Amino acid sequence: MRLLKVFTFCIFLCPSFVVLAHPEDELVILDIEQGEINIQDQQMRAEYEAALKRLRMRLLAAMPWQEKFLLFIRAGIEHIVPKGLDHILFVLGLFFSSLILGSLLWQVTAFTFAHTITLAIAALGIAKVPGAIVEPLIALSIVWIAVENCVFKQTNKWRPFIVFGFGLLHGLGFAAVLTEYGLPKGNLVPSLLAFNIGVELGQLMVLLTAALLVWLIRNKSWYRQRVQIPASLMIALVGLFWFFERVL
Amino acid sequence: MKILLLIVVIMLFSACQTSTDQTSGNPFDQEWDTPFGVPPFNEIKDEHYMPAFKKGMEENLVEIDAIVNNPEAPTFANTLEELERAGKLLTKVQLVFYNLASSNTNPKLQELQRELSPMVSAHNDKISLNEGLFNRVETIWQARENLDLSNEQRKLLEDTRKFFVRSGALLNKEQKAQITEINSKISGLTTEFGQNLLAETNGFELILDEDDLDGLSEGIIAAAAETAAQKMENAETDEEKAKYKDKYVFTPHRTSMYPFLTQSNRRDLREQLYKSYVQRGDNDNETDNKEIAAKIAKLRAERAQLMGYETHAHFMLEERMLKTPAEVYDLLNQLWKPALERAKVEVADMQAVVDKEGHDFKIAAWDWWQYSEKVRKAKYDLDEAALKPYLSLDNVLNGVFETTTKLWGLSFTELFDINVYHPDARVWEVKDKDGSHLGIFIGDYFTRSNKRGGAWMSSFKGQSNLDGRERPVVVNVCNFPAPVGDAPSLLSFENVITLFHEFGHAMHGILTDVTYPSMAGTSGPRDFTEFPAQILEHWASEPEILKSFATHYQTGEVIPDELINKLLKASKFNQGFANTEYLAASLLDMDWHTIKAEEGVKDTDAFEEASLAKIGLINEIAPRYRSTYFAHIFAGGYAAGYYSYIYSAVLDSDGFEAFKEAGDVFDSELAAKLRTHVYEKGSTEEAMELYKNFRGRQPKIEALLKVRGLDGSTD
Repeated sequence: MRLLKVFTFCIFLCPSFVVLAHPEDELVILDIEQGEINIQDQQMRAEYEAALKRLRMRLLAAMPWQEKFLLFIRAGIEHIVPKGLDHILFVLGLFFSSLILGSLLWQVTAFTFAHTITLAIAALGIAKVPGAIVEPLIALSIVWIAVENCVFKQTNKWRPFIVFGFGLLHGLGFAAVLTEYGLPKGNLVPSLLAFNIGVELGQLMVLLTAALLVWLIRNKSWYRQRVQIPASLMIALVGLFWFFERVL
Repeated sequence: MKILLLIVVIMLFSACQTSTDQTSGNPFDQEWDTPFGVPPFNEIKDEHYMPAFKKGMEENLVEIDAIVNNPEAPTFANTLEELERAGKLLTKVQLVFYNLASSNTNPKLQELQRELSPMVSAHNDKISLNEGLFNRVETIWQARENLDLSNEQRKLLEDTRKFFVRSGALLNKEQKAQITEINSKISGLTTEFGQNLLAETNGFELILDEDDLDGLSEGIIAAAAETAAQKMENAETDEEKAKYKDKYVFTPHRTSMYPFLTQSNRRDLREQLYKSYVQRGDNDNETDNKEIAAKIAKLRAERAQLMGYETHAHFMLEERMLKTPAEVYDLLNQLWKPALERAKVEVADMQAVVDKEGHDFKIAAWDWWQYSEKVRKAKYDLDEAALKPYLSLDNVLNGVFETTTKLWGLSFTELFDINVYHPDARVWEVKDKDGSHLGIFIGDYFTRSNKRGGAWMSSFKGQSNLDGRERPVVVNVCNFPAPVGDAPSLLSFENVITLFHEFGHAMHGILTDVTYPSMAGTSGPRDFTEFPAQILEHWASEPEILKSFATHYQTGEVIPDELINKLLKASKFNQGFANTEYLAASLLDMDWHTIKAEEGVKDTDAFEEASLAKIGLINEIAPRYRSTYFAHIFAGGYAAGYYSYIYSAVLDSDGFEAFKEAGDVFDSELAAKLRTHVYEKGSTEEAMELYKNFRGRQPKIEALLKVRGLDGSTD
């Protein structure tokens, strides 16, 4: 009578007060007094997100460090491509500043160095800057870089320093997403390192893709007029849009 | 060149998107090749349920027809075993659906639930009223003495036949028609009873001004203001809205009433609210439940008589561990006196506080919460907040796992590669001491808005040895607070007891080792199935075990003895009251269901009054449920069954006492007996036999009296 037993589908319920462990008791009354559950979509989604993070943390705690390392490299990459659209635009902003390898290298190095510092500081909980300040500033940094690309034909010598400053900002941004993602309690530093490596790899992917795409037209006389400036303008516009979106 | 940029962005995006859209068939139609037979939750979509239910029912009826029309003479194998095999698809979809409809529901599932309820009961009727099927079972049953059946097979035969007989299989056509008519009348009346109760509970409100709030805490005031604001929002006319403006509202809902009764210093208002609660369904209005209760009881008595039983209680108890009303009355009466004595002491304690405060009144029912709280603070003060840091969920889980490891050598491995229905649901593989697979345990502990309240155990897959070894997938669902910030989820001691309790049910579902699926795990009688759950609670409050898992989540410090002592002492607080109100309700339930059909009940209030006067209930306490709002027995499935809670408690206290007597709470011989005679056996033997095989004798009530401080030892 498999079926016959199932239709009395019993769930074994339990106490909600210690004195007499009366499980069903409470439930029968709850059902009658409160009727069915009234579901709030928004609350449900927030609860789900929180639960996902807890799941990730449990997974992390159970992983050997090598796996954790690889996982954080992947997370780092993913937080650039495809999730970090603002960082992609910033890096593209750098790319469209100059085709001279040396100049580009300096900028990227300054950017990397800077965001590594702030990422570590913020992720380790040494200092904290609210997202409401960081996020709009990141948007502005994109505008700045892109506008500079249009104004100056070649990068000025201050450029690496400016980029360094902006890098500090972007590091705080990475730290925010990393905290949201969840850092494991054990192997904190290696995980942080791995995430950073991932971020660099993501950055490199963006740069390489961009380089491949413009490879053939890089030496054309119209490169600056038809590619560099329009692309930079568009980047600036998007950055500006984000700025207002994040402030308002 | 903008296009160029766009292309770059698009390419980057699409490179990292993995497509998950797969349109495949209904997962319920397929064999699940998932590890350990855990349902493939990620493939099951809301729209799969209804077709699977329909197909499952169809298939089931075809299977039943095949059994009935089998040209061969009925045998145990071609009838009972085939019945056990029937309905696989339906079982599969039912288990997933009803579990998720409780633990992870959504509007679509709620709607399906309403749609399915009449379909499923119509389907079940088709089987339970199938004459051809019963005739085959009956033929085998008549020849049972000459068949070579194992004990388990014998019990299955008895249970199956009893199921049909209790559905009216032995009655003639006319009687069957009468039963059907009575059933439909009862079902209408019970629905009405519930609806009236809901209306009555919502029908009263205590609307207060700012200066009526003396004694209430901020949280309670805020909640009452919120209730008022909500009522204002829902009000239709301006006049009605004005009624709630800047007011505070309390209602006879227990979540609203208990805090008010505990905190409010306004005795007159406490009286008003309390009386509104106990008068529910007894207001001589259109939602009055007095006559409905009497009608239900009379119809039930008539049905029992038609079936050949003396009263409805006789009919219900036939399937329980206590077999007759006399046995139940005997149990309740034995417990009644010590509980009432204790309650009288508690009244005296509270009166002393009243007198000391310089008031001039006698403690009344509506004073109980306020003054018992004052006594509690003075005598048993336990700071819950100081306790919680020692009780993180992970620690408590380790504690309960460790307990079963020490008892039976079980081991638990958390599995991360199994897909379940919600990221908060965790999965463990349970292995026996020889390393063999026993089952899958899913723990879904945190509260969320699409989970019903309370805590329960259920399963996604049953256990059976009929066609090869099939091991179960069992779940515990609770409503513990989710962690906030970086701190882990911290439980109250009450939560810890709940966790051990549900885990006890889970063990019953996982250790079970029977041949026939319908007899597995928790399938036994209601007054027995709580025993394996409740006995495990005792280990949670053993100092030795508490110390092994209750370590501070920040400092790692073990729980101090002083805190443990306070905790254990607090468990005896207010037990006179709790047991008295409960026993009074249990006796009232028995009185209602031992009436004779021809007598019936003319006046519900007088009947209740007589029932309570007979046992000498004091005025300071009302039964936990009065007749007109006793939903368990008049709207739920607890008729002549409300006693079962305390009977299970008798069993668990008496059962645990055996370990105390042995001088070791992990005594290996007793643990082995408990496992083989209780946790493994399902309902393959009479519950009383199972208990006696474990304990070596019938249960006694003394241990329970001691645990609850009703043995005169509490000061």
